[in-house]
Amino acid sequence: MITSLAKRLGITVVLLFILSGIIFFLQSISPGDPVKAYLGANASRADVLSERHRLGLDQPTIVQFGGFLVGLVHGDLGVSYRTHRPVFKDFATYLPATIELVVFAFLLAILLAVTFAFSAALRVPGSSFYRGILLVGATAPPFLLAIGGIVLFYQQLGVLPASGRGPDDRGPTGFLVIDTLVNGDIPGFGSTLQHLLLPGLVLAIAPAISIGRILRSSLESTLSADYVRTARSKGLGRGRVLIKHVLRNSIGPAISMSGLQLGFMFAGVVVVEQVFSWPGIGNYLASSIPVSDFPAIAGVTLVLGTIYIITNAVVDLLQAAADPRLVA
Amino acid sequence: MSLIAPAPPRWRATSTGFAAGLRLNFLLVSLLVLTTLIALFARILAPHDPVQPVGGLNLPPGSDGFPFGTDAIGRDMLSRTLYGIQASWFSALLVVAVGLLIGGVIGVIAGVASGWVDAVLMRMTDLFLALPGVLVSIAIVAALGAGLGNTLIGVSVVWWPYYARMIRGEARSIAVRPHVEAARLAGISRGRVILRHVLPGVVPTAVVTASLDVGNVVLLLAGLSFLGLGQSAPAPELGADTARALSQLLSEWWVPVVPGIAVLILSLVANLGGDGIRALTAKRR
Repeated sequence: MITSLAKRLGITVVLLFILSGIIFFLQSISPGDPVKAYLGANASRADVLSERHRLGLDQPTIVQFGGFLVGLVHGDLGVSYRTHRPVFKDFATYLPATIELVVFAFLLAILLAVTFAFSAALRVPGSSFYRGILLVGATAPPFLLAIGGIVLFYQQLGVLPASGRGPDDRGPTGFLVIDTLVNGDIPGFGSTLQHLLLPGLVLAIAPAISIGRILRSSLESTLSADYVRTARSKGLGRGRVLIKHVLRNSIGPAISMSGLQLGFMFAGVVVVEQVFSWPGIGNYLASSIPVSDFPAIAGVTLVLGTIYIITNAVVDLLQAAADPRLVA
Repeated sequence: MSLIAPAPPRWRATSTGFAAGLRLNFLLVSLLVLTTLIALFARILAPHDPVQPVGGLNLPPGSDGFPFGTDAIGRDMLSRTLYGIQASWFSALLVVAVGLLIGGVIGVIAGVASGWVDAVLMRMTDLFLALPGVLVSIAIVAALGAGLGNTLIGVSVVWWPYYARMIRGEARSIAVRPHVEAARLAGISRGRVILRHVLPGVVPTAVVTASLDVGNVVLLLAGLSFLGLGQSAPAPELGADTARALSQLLSEWWVPVVPGIAVLILSLVANLGGDGIRALTAKRR
């Protein structure tokens, strides 16, 4: 266990190093000039040179990369050309909203996946219809689902809001679901959930079908296993067999797929946040793209990419914990 | 629906069922061909110039002469959609082809060579696979500058590792078969063994996987275009056309929705056609 843990940790560090290497390389070939962006286009040549020296841009590339890495470890992601604030400070503002949305959507995806897998594996009537809806949803571009959802639930039915997170955030965590409860703001909590529902659902559909398919096929193979028949024939109730014998033995592949999908959701959230004007890091990225604000884009890529890599590492370890056979 | 009942009889391959399945799969594959033809002849099929205003502003679908309506400056939505389909479809095919080419070369070499060459190539592939591909491609396109060519580069860079893994496994399983060993023992050169004895066995799986992947690429490219990483303003592009018309969603819904539906149809056709190809080739083997 310790060796596999150490090995996984090593791989994770290498991946993070490569990711920052890629971002550094892209930063050095990107057309924007951080000095000009910082000083303004009318800065004198002497000012530009001294600023370049101060930022270390006259150093050899390898030294610059070292400085870049040291900066990253200290949370220095450069200054945004657009907001003129350190990118790291911008993240503190936007990241909680994104994490809240992705986690909510992930829970929704698990719920959809489990209901889909069980209804299909147990051949509940109507399950193929449910599957069809999920399948078409997973084939559609997320922005179409998002605008379709807005037209249906906001414009036509008037039951769900179409943009933003709802109540203003009064702290302390930045996660509205928690903050509204801490502040005893029950209507605010309800409004927060309402605002989460539509973007969460849009984000959840594609992962739900991927996780659900894996879970269904492992459920089906477990259901036909001998020990399940034994458990049933020795008189155990159906629910008990399903939970204790079938689910536990079928969940491994689904866990690993869930981790992969959680990682994907941190990339997919960008488009969804833009359509719903969700004040998160994805929307920050979407607004940075048209103005070629590369420090901001690089920062978002690094932070979301780091979350993705760490998620996958954690899932690998979780899977090993759930199924000890994998460690051997 | 009992938990332990013997599995209910599944679809049986009776002769009529088999023929029906075959017909359905041909139908699905022909959808793929039809879409390619539409994309190929978009310029001829489009009734109007996609960039020039040709009618009233924001005419709803079904208006006289504009079956898909017009957008905020009076451009024909049908023509823009057809041009957009052309760009999306061929871009997706190109990305998949490049992925197949790079992944195929690396995968076949790794699979046939085995030993340290295999180990090095596959470790490299695994590292690329473990990186967040979509985010890296966003960063690549942002660094190179928005545009269709750069988007294709950005996506292709992250798209090959999956193919390398898959093709390596397939090549490996073929490389250990007796006929390849016999060819080797007969003193045939390595390159010839790869080309004549391994590659033909890899192609069917590779083609099926690739065809099932086209839909994913269509969606990814549309997403990047939606974020403004595709072609610049007047050019007709499905994702970008939706993004630019978002403010009209609640008043003239068709302007953002029509290009989005075109993406949905492309991705559906790609997935169904891929399933059809898989089913047809599975029956052949």
